[in-house]
Amino acid sequence: MRAWAGNARGTRGLGTGLLWTAPWWLGFLFFLAVPMGMSLYISFCDYPLLQPPVFIGAANYATLATDPVFGKVLVNTLVFAALAIPIGTVLAVLLAVLLNQNLPGQGLFRTCLFVPTVVPLVGAALVWLWLLNPEYGLINAVLRLLAPLATGANNLIAALSGGHRLTWLSELAAGPQWLSSPHWAMAALVLISLWGVGSAVVIYLAGLQEIPVDLYEAAMLDGASAPRRFWHVTLPGLSPVILFNVITGLIGTWQIFALPYVLMRGEQGPGRSTYFYTMYLFDNAFRYLKMGYASAMAWIQLLIILLLTALVFWVGKRTVHYRGA
Amino acid sequence: MNVRGLILALVLGVPAGGLILFGPRGQYDAPPGRTVVRYWEKWTGAEGAVMHRLVERFNRTVGAERNIWVQYIAVSNIEQRTLIATAGGDPPDVAGLYDYVVPQYADQGALRPLEEEARAAGIALDALRPVWLEIGRYRGTLYALPSTPYTIALYYNRALFRAAGLDPDRPPATLAELSASAQRLTRTEPVPLPGGGTGTRIVQAGFTPSTAMLGWWPWVWPCFFDGRLWDGQRCTLDTAAGRAALHWLADLRRAQGPERMLSFEGTAGAIESAQNPFLSGQVAMVFQGPWLSNWIAKYAPDLDYGVAPFPSVTVERRNAFASTDVFVIPSSARHPREAMTFLAFVLQQDVLEELCREHNKLSPFRTPSPDFYARHPNPHIRVFDELAASPDVFGYPSMPMWLRVMDESKQLLNIVLRDPDQADAALEAAQRKADAIVRDYEAMAAQRRRAGR
Repeated sequence: MRAWAGNARGTRGLGTGLLWTAPWWLGFLFFLAVPMGMSLYISFCDYPLLQPPVFIGAANYATLATDPVFGKVLVNTLVFAALAIPIGTVLAVLLAVLLNQNLPGQGLFRTCLFVPTVVPLVGAALVWLWLLNPEYGLINAVLRLLAPLATGANNLIAALSGGHRLTWLSELAAGPQWLSSPHWAMAALVLISLWGVGSAVVIYLAGLQEIPVDLYEAAMLDGASAPRRFWHVTLPGLSPVILFNVITGLIGTWQIFALPYVLMRGEQGPGRSTYFYTMYLFDNAFRYLKMGYASAMAWIQLLIILLLTALVFWVGKRTVHYRGA
Repeated sequence: MNVRGLILALVLGVPAGGLILFGPRGQYDAPPGRTVVRYWEKWTGAEGAVMHRLVERFNRTVGAERNIWVQYIAVSNIEQRTLIATAGGDPPDVAGLYDYVVPQYADQGALRPLEEEARAAGIALDALRPVWLEIGRYRGTLYALPSTPYTIALYYNRALFRAAGLDPDRPPATLAELSASAQRLTRTEPVPLPGGGTGTRIVQAGFTPSTAMLGWWPWVWPCFFDGRLWDGQRCTLDTAAGRAALHWLADLRRAQGPERMLSFEGTAGAIESAQNPFLSGQVAMVFQGPWLSNWIAKYAPDLDYGVAPFPSVTVERRNAFASTDVFVIPSSARHPREAMTFLAFVLQQDVLEELCREHNKLSPFRTPSPDFYARHPNPHIRVFDELAASPDVFGYPSMPMWLRVMDESKQLLNIVLRDPDQADAALEAAQRKADAIVRDYEAMAAQRRRAGR
């Protein structure tokens, strides 16, 4: 009798729990789990959206393997992630350390650094279009001022290497055609992506507050110089936050869409150099009416992100230091 | 559930239930008893205001007689939204789309054939210029009716022509003349080079097909060499006309200097600004539509310019590009009969010409009314209108897979503009890709046919 009462109470408790959590799990079920399941099925279909899907087996995945545009967007996205994440991380950590110093105007500098992250993307993109204007842009104007330095460096390289000059350095000195050159368009996008580094800086600043001061004091007593304190105290102390930012950055760069879309006015860029994975996925789904193909791309994207995230965690196991661990 | 849980459930549940039952609803200002026709359109601002006015006129007059109420909804990214709504089984009753998506949607069975119903509703299809009906057809069936049509012509800066020693009353009549004029109209100035010495930069170009400088139709050039890009089965980029067009572009580019031109083209401002390259005098000749006069009137009212047919390879040919925004009725629309009643109202000559005039477009009618010309904001509208009557007029290729091919043709032009020496290799590669796109589409269509869909 007591066991029955206990079971009844348990069932009632389960019912109440399910009822109160229903907004979440119903949402999860209908807006995430079911669409994901459907997307998986559709990835094995020819589905032009306006007609019912037709099962075609793994044909979409096989076509992806030989699609040159797919290869191009895959490489573009990988290159962008490989450049934007490390450069953004290094820059954000250095800026956070700098802003963590007790200097006059600290609050002002922190605000200045964070303000770009609240500027709407479209507005920022338009400003960058002017900054990167090859003839009248501010960036090329500064580069032209610095041209004698680059030319001197190139002359030195030429003298040391028997006449070999760096073409990219010459182009940089002359002021590149940032967005209309297939060689420079990616560099321009990476540069612009650094515009939003302020949000990462804020997270790193919070992380820096968590590093115990006594570790720095002990290091100083041991005679550690500032660079050594940074290398042996700050970086290990900050490593869990770096791991977090790298993973979110990784996911974000694999989903990059709006920035190149606005900058290139919806085009694919010179030689498709600024055509990214999600843009091609969108085009397949909603412009070319190949929803099955787009779904296959989405699943491959998920797998890539999962694999890369697992890789980062694996590397993190050896390099990330958790306090008390 | 204990008392506390019950109270909490009531506190949260009662307002939620109240909101569901009595909360805000979609705003319908339709009088009771009228059939609501949902009309999705891409126009906003001044363009949207004109259509809104016509919709209100319909609702006051014909709509009141026939118990129909048209609800005008301005929609961004209208192709995608119409597509998704149609796929979801809840499309609008009328949609204002672009003509180039008609073959794609029609081929998927998403559009309703209109010819019989239009005639039954009293629309005088024979009064429309044939080109506008042809653009709305796919495999012989009419799926779209023209709303605001246009052709594209050559705008040229008469003052710059004079300054270059060219006759401003004699615009180029062939593509060879266009190239020669473009060369004379291109001006450079010296600039110091980073490594020492002096180079030149372009400060004024005679003509450029670049999409950055108002050349919005990167695929169009073979058509001015009498080529057409679709023969019903094959996408024909690599015909003699295609090669001639590409060599013409490559020669023009070589003469101007590809690097200098790329740098120059990076300076272009948007069409709707004072930095518009034609208005600012950066480019002397552009391939553009009637709407450009809106921006001339606004930002450069004193600009001395002319409009002429864009030249073909020979004087005898009058190739002209024509395109139009269109009205369609999705195949699963709920009120197709009422939608057609509305379209019959809009396609009356006085109503449609009011819309086209205020959009700075052409009249789609064979014989536009004198009032249309008299009150049109573009002083050169007759030139555009004559182009629509040309026997060599052409529209977007009627291919269901056009958007993919168009993306390839953009890449092709891009390669030629960057490196003219790559023209032939790029053309071969583009043709291979176009063939693969058509093959892929046909294979999928055959698979669907086999599956009985």
